[in-house]
Amino acid sequence: MTSGSFFYDFIQYLPQLLEGLKISLMITGLSLTIGVPVALFLAFGVTAKRKALRWFCVAVVEVGRGAPALVLLQLAYYGMPGAGITLPALTSAVLALSWTAAGYMAEYVRGGISAVPLGEIEACQAVGMKRPDTLRFVIIPQGLRIALPSLMGFAVMLFQATSLAYSVAVPELMSQAYSIGSSNFRYLNILIAAGVLYAAISIPSTWFSVLVEKRMNRHA
Amino acid sequence: MSEVLGPQQRGMTIPSQAITSSFPLDSPSAVLGAPKVQVSHLAKAYGDNLVLRDVSLEVPSGSVTAMIGPSGAGKSTLLRCMNLLERPDAGTIQIGEHLIDVAKGIAPKNLAALRRSTGMVFQTFNLFPHMTVLRNISLPQQRVLGRSSSEADEISHRLLSRMGLHDKAGQYPNRCSGGQQQRIAIARALALDPEVMLFDEPTSALDPEVGAEVLDVMKELASEGMTMVVVTHEMSFAANVSDQLVVMAEGRIIERGDPKDIMRNPQHERTRKFLHAVMER
Amino acid sequence: MNVEILFAVLTGLPLTILITLTALGIGTLLAIPLLFGLRSTNRTVWFISRCFVDICRGIPPIVWLFVLFFGVSVGSARLSAFAAGVIGLGLVASGYLAEIFRGAVKAVHAGQWEAAHALGFPATSTWSQVIGPQVLRTALPGFTTYAIALLKDSSIVSILGVAEMVFTTSQLARSSDLGIFVYAVAAAVYIGLSVPLGVLSRSLDVKLRKAVA
Repeated sequence: MTSGSFFYDFIQYLPQLLEGLKISLMITGLSLTIGVPVALFLAFGVTAKRKALRWFCVAVVEVGRGAPALVLLQLAYYGMPGAGITLPALTSAVLALSWTAAGYMAEYVRGGISAVPLGEIEACQAVGMKRPDTLRFVIIPQGLRIALPSLMGFAVMLFQATSLAYSVAVPELMSQAYSIGSSNFRYLNILIAAGVLYAAISIPSTWFSVLVEKRMNRHA
Repeated sequence: MSEVLGPQQRGMTIPSQAITSSFPLDSPSAVLGAPKVQVSHLAKAYGDNLVLRDVSLEVPSGSVTAMIGPSGAGKSTLLRCMNLLERPDAGTIQIGEHLIDVAKGIAPKNLAALRRSTGMVFQTFNLFPHMTVLRNISLPQQRVLGRSSSEADEISHRLLSRMGLHDKAGQYPNRCSGGQQQRIAIARALALDPEVMLFDEPTSALDPEVGAEVLDVMKELASEGMTMVVVTHEMSFAANVSDQLVVMAEGRIIERGDPKDIMRNPQHERTRKFLHAVMER
Repeated sequence: MNVEILFAVLTGLPLTILITLTALGIGTLLAIPLLFGLRSTNRTVWFISRCFVDICRGIPPIVWLFVLFFGVSVGSARLSAFAAGVIGLGLVASGYLAEIFRGAVKAVHAGQWEAAHALGFPATSTWSQVIGPQVLRTALPGFTTYAIALLKDSSIVSILGVAEMVFTTSQLARSSDLGIFVYAVAAAVYIGLSVPLGVLSRSLDVKLRKAVA
């Protein structure tokens, strides 16, 4: 292996890239941890009877889905200090991506919940189950199950979106690759190496979510 | 009384006390003829469409009432009003000791009591696909009646055995045939010791042969003295099993009485036309 | 003040729209051959198409943009930031759109193919007369959803220094102490663009459904 070849660079810089990948995965995990419960709340909130709550939830969802993740990221990192709140880069990245995640996932969950057959909800009423029980044992588990493939597909998108945290200087995979590139000027090698790592996570995960979807369609 | 039957026991075992206790024939007080269900002056409209017009009906305890009539007559709506899945605009509903007067409003407590005292079987089964057969039957017992999970499971197993489905306990509903699913749905409703069983076209989604399995279970329930209201298109069931036949058309009960009498000698022109059309098939 | 900020942000809008439409065009043009590749019975053709689609979708857009911008040169000429941006986003789009089109073709009822075959249609007219028009309808919701996503992804090109909307926004945000407000205005513009697009696509979908069904 000659110095300067792709494989040479790949092997030499792999530890540093993996450090970055760890942070990318951590951001993904944290954003999902915050995003999923918030999404569940929003999914019900957007149909709440109380007007103020409903509009608040609709607004949170629409901003999360409608504004580019990059704008939310930069707002959290560059914009908040102007309002007197300075957040560390990693925190602002997690918060911004959690918002995006909550907005999208709220829509998927809502779709899943509305796909729960009405007859099953009537069956709950007919046996005299209370509303909270109906939610807990029938509507939420079924709705989440139906939404699962979309949620898994979205998790892959979210993982890819962590690369945007490069723009607020979080040392994730993309930032690591760029900083290596700007020190040895072999951008192509190292960027492709980063691409390989992203693909190594994204592609199998996507296949897996497609598999889950197919299995669920078969059993439905 | 405390007979112990293993869940594995095959065939039609003696019903558990939890189930028999609700069968009125066991108690001397349950004289055939005392009304178990009484609906009076029920009215229901969807916009301008009057689906129920001043409907009154009594179902004697321990009897089977079959409701027939052309589609859109209001049979299912009437049945669904009995457990308030459908909310009538006016009228009263009495099931056993529970009385609901729509005009006075429906308190959640009364609604819950009414639902507890009725069991319902749907045309489309409506089993919970994400739970095993056993859990489908046990969970409502735990959540609604507060039974412990072991007690609920025991009752579920017994009911499954009665239905000839003891080997399906651990499976998911979508692995069962339509006829099996409907029998599981019947078990789910029976497990809550209802005073009345409501059947909403229970065999319409099934092949005739499979429907017969379900009808057999229903006949057996009837012979044990369960009070039943059945919306059906099965004329032989209506003629041979039911004690009272109700013919509905355009949101009204146009005829009610002894099934054989009505079928032999319908009084109403609309009944004649309907029976004629059904018998032609 | 508010109006001034809005106008300043909006100076980047034409470029944002241009990037979105160009990338969408590139993506659509590439997606059509990929669609046939994914449906091909030739294993080699299928495999190459499958890999191409998966790689396009498996690597984040920003990595594509940097690879094209820093890594690709023709002689001593490098790609411009704009070119790297639209080609990169176009590549990613081609992968997603090919999958959307494939799903849309699958959604056309099998009986339609059988009818066309039974009538003795040649392959070309089966596609152009029977399947194609129905695919246009079934693919529309997915296509517009992706177009809206692309509108937002076009913001990534700002990182290469192309003066589209997020670029002008961050310039403005850094030169004033109203950062949060400037970003909020930009977010509002994106939402203001994507919400009507979504409504439009839904109403178009309903219309086409009526026309076809």
